[in-house]
Amino acid sequence: MELNTFANVRVLFFAKSRELVGEKETVINYPSRISTRRILNELLERYNSLSVISENLILSLNEEYLDINDDLIINLKTGDELAVIPPISGG
Amino acid sequence: MDHVDIIEDVIKVEKLVDLVTSPSYGAITTFIGTTRDNFDGKNVTRLEYEAYIPMARKKMLEICGMVREKWKVGNIAIVHRIGVVPVKEASIIIAISSAHRRESLESVHFAIDTLKATVPIWKKEIYEDGSNSWKENTEWKHSKING
Repeated sequence: MELNTFANVRVLFFAKSRELVGEKETVINYPSRISTRRILNELLERYNSLSVISENLILSLNEEYLDINDDLIINLKTGDELAVIPPISGG
Repeated sequence: MDHVDIIEDVIKVEKLVDLVTSPSYGAITTFIGTTRDNFDGKNVTRLEYEAYIPMARKKMLEICGMVREKWKVGNIAIVHRIGVVPVKEASIIIAISSAHRRESLESVHFAIDTLKATVPIWKKEIYEDGSNSWKENTEWKHSKING
């Protein structure tokens, strides 16, 4: 039996994405089974301001990078931590 | 020993050198990345760094692991500064010791290149005229993570 379940996920914003969104973090209710591309698309719909850097964003889940291009189906659970990662520039 | 840290204060190179020094290792290589006062003809007054601290620490420790897979080294210390880093001051210092010079020289080069491609830390350049710009590492642009 497949239930349509959802998960409350903490979403963090850094650097330019933080400035565009105007907050450091939020909580979003996502379907528990979701593609990485859809996670990003829903973020872009919610935060139109991110569109200027939409081609350059990637995501991490629980401190590991997600491959946006492969469009994987992943499992989310309540308490998971997503982060919006603009191009990095450490060093 | 693998020592990684992200701090808001001045990074002291002597402290990192002390950390990696050992009687059994005859070579220490350090890399110090500092704030430059110019970019593309514009005058830079300071850099502002921020990090996804827990993930950045994790990725820095992964770099230590990769270094140890590739070279026989002694101790590794990698410290990144965040917040405001004025001109001439260090944002990153890496120190690696090894029995002989080749391993520490090569592994420090690898460690800084890999850090620039994989560790979630960001810098914004603040220019003399008040404008600013978030930067992007070329190492990141060309990394597999970024597709």
